[in-house]
Amino acid sequence: MKTLNIALKDLLRSFRNAFFLGFGLGMPVLMGVIFYFAFGGLASEGGFDIPQVDVLVVNLDEPVAEYGGFSAGEMLAGFLQSEELAQLLAATEEESAASARAAVDNQEADIAVIIPADLSGAVFDPEGQAEVEVYHDPTLTLGPSIVKSIITQFVDALAGSKIAAGVAYDQLAERGATVDGTILQNVAMRYGEWSASLSESQGAGALLAVQSPVGGEEKEANRALAMVGGIMTGMMVFYAFYTGAASAMSILQEEEDGTLPRLFTTPTPTSAILGGKLIAVFALVVVQVLVLMTFSSLVFKTDWGAPIPLSLALVGLVVLAASFGIFGMSLLKDTRQAGIVIGGVMTVLGMVGISSMFTANVPGAAGGFAETLPLFVPQGWAMHAWRLVMDGGNVGDVLPPFAVIIALTIGFFSIGVLRFRKRFA
Amino acid sequence: MNSNKAIQVQDLHKDFGEVYAVQGVSFDVQAGEIFSLLGPNGAGKTTIISMLACLLEPTQGDALVMSHSIKSEQMAVKAAIGVVPQEIALYEDLSARENLNFWGKMYGLRGGPLKQRVDEVLEVIGLADRQKGRVSKYSGGMKRRLNIGIALLHRPQVIIMDEPTVGIDPQSRRSILDSVKELNRQGMTVFYTTHYMEEAQELSDHIAIMDLGKLIAYGTHDELVQIVGEMDRITLTINAESAQVMEQWRATEGVHKVSAEDGTLELLVDDSNVVLPRLFESATQAGVRITSVEIQEPNLEAVFLHLTGRALRD
Repeated sequence: MKTLNIALKDLLRSFRNAFFLGFGLGMPVLMGVIFYFAFGGLASEGGFDIPQVDVLVVNLDEPVAEYGGFSAGEMLAGFLQSEELAQLLAATEEESAASARAAVDNQEADIAVIIPADLSGAVFDPEGQAEVEVYHDPTLTLGPSIVKSIITQFVDALAGSKIAAGVAYDQLAERGATVDGTILQNVAMRYGEWSASLSESQGAGALLAVQSPVGGEEKEANRALAMVGGIMTGMMVFYAFYTGAASAMSILQEEEDGTLPRLFTTPTPTSAILGGKLIAVFALVVVQVLVLMTFSSLVFKTDWGAPIPLSLALVGLVVLAASFGIFGMSLLKDTRQAGIVIGGVMTVLGMVGISSMFTANVPGAAGGFAETLPLFVPQGWAMHAWRLVMDGGNVGDVLPPFAVIIALTIGFFSIGVLRFRKRFA
Repeated sequence: MNSNKAIQVQDLHKDFGEVYAVQGVSFDVQAGEIFSLLGPNGAGKTTIISMLACLLEPTQGDALVMSHSIKSEQMAVKAAIGVVPQEIALYEDLSARENLNFWGKMYGLRGGPLKQRVDEVLEVIGLADRQKGRVSKYSGGMKRRLNIGIALLHRPQVIIMDEPTVGIDPQSRRSILDSVKELNRQGMTVFYTTHYMEEAQELSDHIAIMDLGKLIAYGTHDELVQIVGEMDRITLTINAESAQVMEQWRATEGVHKVSAEDGTLELLVDDSNVVLPRLFESATQAGVRITSVEIQEPNLEAVFLHLTGRALRD
């Protein structure tokens, strides 16, 4: 009972401690939020919200009178302003290319799409070529990619129409038929209808949109969410070891404050006193990890993997972080040394341990030394287990690192407790 | 074991390597009395308290607290004593009530009795109206009172106080000394250490004087003062280095002891009326001017000076 009272007292003090609240809970959450905003608010409301892109459309295209006034530029401008793309693009027409570019330069618009005068002509001229210019703010990446993707698909459809019309023209000419513009326009239009019906049969409803650009971005969003989940895992591992060490430091702190010697003057066995302090260390790491997991689940919709492997990784992280903290503090003389160790050594070990978080998505960086280096520190084994779980690993995959974690835990905990018992004997 | 003895210290030794902190100390503390252990800093007082509180294992010897050995019955000893450490030992991020609740549980109190006792102690130490405030916001005196209150929670038979008045204002000091007397009136045995002669003199039934790890005197105040007999204690200040006159004064007829610190000299003399003119004459011959003179009746300072050749504050 006294053991529990000591643990509860330590927990109460920790929750009133600005260091624990700030460093144990606040910092990891803050880091997560920073990454969240860095990825553009990826997971709000469970979906993927891409910020709307301001587009200025300058349509300089001249309709081709001999083909019934066909205007590819008008089609493209209309498509960019269509309802289907309204959630992605806020497109408005601009009179001149110069004013549109100036608006982008002045950051009044994100992108200017300049449709050349000869776009329609190029469709019907077998040798014709025309370029649609996408002028954008160089700091933007996602918006211009979307617009380019849309235009590329539009132009591909036009190119298909052009080829179809060309083939029809050649075949009719070979057979001695008279080919006029109306026939070629009909061929092109029929190709367009076929292309649209093909798109619809593939599940995309928009004319010439062929593939919904949102579908591709959802995939990107999932990849980004997975990356944020991985980063949050790294933060969790990194800070869990901090918390383990910082809470174990309370043994040294209480020794210096005189409350630990005073506890030893009460009729409380040394084992109960140390036991209470150690329980508090484990409990604090548990609280921290659960808070961070909950936060990440709610905000980033992090998929933590299957329950049983996840439980193994969770237990492994908690016991290893706590026991490593106890072990580390048992080697130190006072809180001055502990401050240096927590600030320096734990940071270095933590960075090495979670380095896979940074190298996993870098081509050529994964594997080899980059993969084995983290396993030289305890944080690396905890991170390894968590990555396996989050990559969809099963119990069999997680058991080997879990076994290593338990072995390390037993070693660290035994040495730490023995040293503390000897110290306070 | 004599049932009238709350503490029996028997040939206690404590070595820290080559440092002999306590060397063969023996004394008894009667049940229900205030016992003071007097001595300068480094005399070994805190080491003795640490052994009585079972924080340090004696190198040799033993002590019985309420008939329990500090070596073999530590839990029983700890249950019988309340310790007030020299340094304030509180959880500053908890309130006074939270501190008392926690420490009460460490002394085995639970539920209703714990709550009742915490309320009583808060009244005794005068913190009932500030019980919910964080200790970190308390004044030094308030912390000192709470520091004492914790040791009272389980109504110990013996309360051990290690220099509880160090570094506090006169008002708080007065309050603590009155508290000690009140606790004693309620039947508690008080083991009190101090290096303030006046505190020992005011509080104690028996006094033990320690120096350099050894017990050099033991008895009631009157018994101790008898050691210096009818000698007077003279305190002098001079306008020069004390070394210029010390040797001459030591050799002066009627002077027993001379010690010096910060330009102040303490002398034990047979009869100040006879000796003082001789001191003035020696000073004049040495070219030294005496700037103040104070003559005191024999007291514990004089005893310490007589026994060690040094002033108690050295």
